[in-house]
Amino acid sequence: MTEEAKTPPVVPINANQPIGEVLVFAEQILGQLQPVGLELLGAGRDLANKLERPLTAIVLGHNLGDIPKTLIAYGADKVYVADHPDLEQYRTLPYRRVICNWLEQMPVEPHTMLLGSTTTGRDLAPRIAAHFKTGLTADTTELDVGDYEHKGGADPSKIGLYANCLYAIRPSFGESLKARILGPWKNPQMATTRPGVMIPLKPDWERQGEIVQIPVELDPTDYRLVVKETFQEVKKGVNLADADVIVSGGYGMANAEGFELLRQLADCFENAAVGASRKAVDVGWIPYIHQIGQTGKTVRPKVYIACGISGAIQHRVGMQNADLIIAVNKDPDAPIFKFAHHGIVGDVYQVVPEMIRQLKQNQSATTKEVSSVV
Amino acid sequence: MSGSLNILVLIKQVPDTSSKAGLNPDGTIDRAKAKRMLNPFDRFALQAALHSKKVTNGKVTALSMGPPPAVEILLEAIEHGVDKGFLLSDRRLAASDTLATAYALHKVIQHLGPFDLIFTGLQTTDGDTAQVGPQIAERLNLPQVTYCEDFSIEGGKLHARRIVEGGHQTVVSEFPALVTVANAYHHLEYKTIRGARLVQELQRNEELKAQYIQTITLDDVGADPELCGLKGSPTIVAHTDKVGQIGGRCVMHQGKSIEMLVNEIAAGTNIKEFVRQ
Repeated sequence: MTEEAKTPPVVPINANQPIGEVLVFAEQILGQLQPVGLELLGAGRDLANKLERPLTAIVLGHNLGDIPKTLIAYGADKVYVADHPDLEQYRTLPYRRVICNWLEQMPVEPHTMLLGSTTTGRDLAPRIAAHFKTGLTADTTELDVGDYEHKGGADPSKIGLYANCLYAIRPSFGESLKARILGPWKNPQMATTRPGVMIPLKPDWERQGEIVQIPVELDPTDYRLVVKETFQEVKKGVNLADADVIVSGGYGMANAEGFELLRQLADCFENAAVGASRKAVDVGWIPYIHQIGQTGKTVRPKVYIACGISGAIQHRVGMQNADLIIAVNKDPDAPIFKFAHHGIVGDVYQVVPEMIRQLKQNQSATTKEVSSVV
Repeated sequence: MSGSLNILVLIKQVPDTSSKAGLNPDGTIDRAKAKRMLNPFDRFALQAALHSKKVTNGKVTALSMGPPPAVEILLEAIEHGVDKGFLLSDRRLAASDTLATAYALHKVIQHLGPFDLIFTGLQTTDGDTAQVGPQIAERLNLPQVTYCEDFSIEGGKLHARRIVEGGHQTVVSEFPALVTVANAYHHLEYKTIRGARLVQELQRNEELKAQYIQTITLDDVGADPELCGLKGSPTIVAHTDKVGQIGGRCVMHQGKSIEMLVNEIAAGTNIKEFVRQ
């Protein structure tokens, strides 16, 4: 026997298992493709390239028009289309039936399945995961693939090296840590991601891909719930995605009136919106649509003014890519000062009114200059 | 008007992060020292269950899973008017992920049921996944209404309003169904004097307490321990990274008059460029 034969390289336990595709659920509402599907294709493309497997998308609805072509332009190699009048509006049971049936007949189940962490994705993903008895990680902030060495645990037969695992990464509860969550034992390995977190690819309208119509066979029990009406509401003054400046408040604002003060500060700017940390939303000072962070919106404004926000990791992942972060907090040890660009140590109820005063002064000064020129 | 409904509400005890107790200076949590509370979302589920009880002259059972102290939240539920509480408590459930949790709870529900309506909170504040409710509905093959913020029971059906992306949706579901309740739900039912007295009585009288709150194990409901806890969980937390420092080092402004501090910001950054003219 040679030396080499005595110490063979470690062979991953799952080395002989076929690797399936990376599948993205593309959500549409009233025939409008939702951006989160395109964002997931951006993240999924990277995973598919690393796994050397196709990136596929699945879309359900009725009269879907150019949606399949759009999905190809944004990176899908293949698009599964279920077109049926009863799929026009999202309903849990019919969607779950069509998707589970389709995955079940695949010769190799997808390696990974990604869904948006929207009201639809969070309704649907756990049903699919429970059906296949597979792992699902909610609200991931990063996705990757790589090896994993399982060193111990309840089941000794699982110990060993696993290749090509989905890394579903999210902040862990109450800790300034990021958790890497894995489930290499069962495919598809599933994850959801909030809208705005992943970056879509630039569309390539010349890109070629395959469009596959998939069967729709519903069961009478799928009609136990019917949708009467869907209302889309116009939200006033909560355009966090496009705002240049976001003035955001946390638990340190102490009450709902504090947010009125933040609105006044936001009003000093040309294109600004008011945001909030989760704690401020949970206690009811401001509605959920203002929430920024892991379980709220992810924003990339030019200026982010954080008032009375401690800066927990759950908030940070939603705003850390702002060009300029200004933090106001009376606690000099608040974590937010570790990643803000400028920090003011002081009481928000003194600092914010002074900011408003100085910005308004600046405003009138500039106006005077302009008028004197004219 | 429907007949009386048999209603179940699922509740969970979570660490209280708004309290300073158990909160380390760096923001991490010492779970042993942390105060415990009813998951805030479950309060809305509890209200929804009690409202359904009232309008259908029904019966509400509360079910929780967790270590023995979780009995506290079952007592709280009884104070509000829940008829009976069950705690699934078993060491073999430790480290259960959402799939394993849903498996264990669905076995208890099959054992205690059948129920016409099952309410859960939209999500918990410690896990934040919103997965366990729908995973139980899948196991029990039930229709589900997630993100429910209002509902009525008419003609033997559930008429519900739920939150969807950018708006609302109205749906009608047959019974039985599972409903996850959002924190916008607003029909509040308060603690009753009768409930408060009863809980005082239960705290003095263990025998009576056992009639209202029962602690059960996996064996009691015929659940397979292989499908629970770490063994039954397809996901594991494999690795935690300390979050790296990002951005530049923070320029701190302190120890001067507020006017000067704000002036330093206005002078040292480009925020004036965005001021409304």
